Amino acid sequence: MTTRDEQPNDKRTLAADFVLGVLDAESQSRAEALMANDTDFAAEVERWRTRLADLDAGATPMAPDPSVWSRIEAAIATAPAVATAPPRPSLWHSLSAWRAIGLIGSAAALLFAVAFGVALREAQRTPAMIAVLVDGDKAGAVVHVFNDGRAVLLPLTDIAVPPDRALQVWTLPSRERGPVSIGLMEQARTLSLALKDLPTPRNDQLFEITLEPKGGSPTGRPTGPILFKGLTSPTL
Amino acid sequence: MNPAATAHLSGDSEADERQLAAALARCASGDKTALRVIYDAEAARMTGVAFRILRRRDLAEEATQDAFVRIWRSAGSFDAARGSARGWLYAVLRNRALTILRDEGRFDSTEDLDAAAIDEPVVERLPESSALRRCLEALDAKYRSAIVFSYVHGLSHGELAGRLKVPLGTAKSWTRRGMLSLQECMG
Repeated sequence: MTTRDEQPNDKRTLAADFVLGVLDAESQSRAEALMANDTDFAAEVERWRTRLADLDAGATPMAPDPSVWSRIEAAIATAPAVATAPPRPSLWHSLSAWRAIGLIGSAAALLFAVAFGVALREAQRTPAMIAVLVDGDKAGAVVHVFNDGRAVLLPLTDIAVPPDRALQVWTLPSRERGPVSIGLMEQARTLSLALKDLPTPRNDQLFEITLEPKGGSPTGRPTGPILFKGLTSPTL
Repeated sequence: MNPAATAHLSGDSEADERQLAAALARCASGDKTALRVIYDAEAARMTGVAFRILRRRDLAEEATQDAFVRIWRSAGSFDAARGSARGWLYAVLRNRALTILRDEGRFDSTEDLDAAAIDEPVVERLPESSALRRCLEALDAKYRSAIVFSYVHGLSHGELAGRLKVPLGTAKSWTRRGMLSLQECMG
């Protein structure tokens, strides 16, 4: 997708540095999100991988200890089926799953409607921007940003959260400022995001959900693994 | 495991590429023997690549292990129309190795780089026919070092600056100019 205010040079440098492996954590997150959402960027990355591939091919082989394969076998025995993920991000698939949750029963549906009431009202308006937060090919949530600066996160999938942990939502208004916490929840739910003190989101602004200690990251910056991330795109 | 599944790949890069892509497709459909095909073909080379970054055998093996678990889980996201299977596999491996490398606390910060391990003649060992070799050799030595230290040994810009004894901005600019020249040379 091409947007008017993207900076091709900036993205080309980002692609080169991504393949070189020299990005800091924030730029790395941005690059990974672009890989999922921006085919031009992914193609540029592929060109760099091809150019540099001989350097990997030239490494001296070092046969790993046989225990390495045993551990791989053990790991994939306990974590099956994820491999059957669809080849492309399938928002539709996730949306149907999401709807199915709401149809489980009338009581559940009522709870659902109450909890999501704010979001439903928001959803009646057309967002100015959307970010689909993904993990590889799996869509986990969408962020809708409205013209008045308000924003809401809608989960598309259930997210397993251990009892002593929480889900924290972040955005990266600028590299200088770094990631800013805009929401915290104990389980995946529709959440209004605290964007009002931040600049209006740009195109390709990073949003992500990380797993943090209960109560939120103690450092004010993401400390746990990134579960889902994505970049904003303007709606037509 | 059937014998064909453990056979080593041919060394013909196009045939290997097709086999790796086919094996990834089989992994995506849940065929564990296909993961073993990839392992037999690439694990030793991958561990070698990780070793140049991590400089410890146990950590290099850990990177290989992490990479194969991730390859198994993400095989469905590989799209042969968008890129090479080998490139994808090594991107996963490099990502795991760099994650281990940058995981603060895993390394003693006073631990110095093993100068011998890092001065191995990486470029000279590329095949004569390699366009990458020709283009790297045509580069100004400082640009070439910047690229090799970054890509092959996993140095950050900061570490590169220390290694080359130049300010951070200079290290970044050498890397950038080197990559631009490389792109012009290789097309």
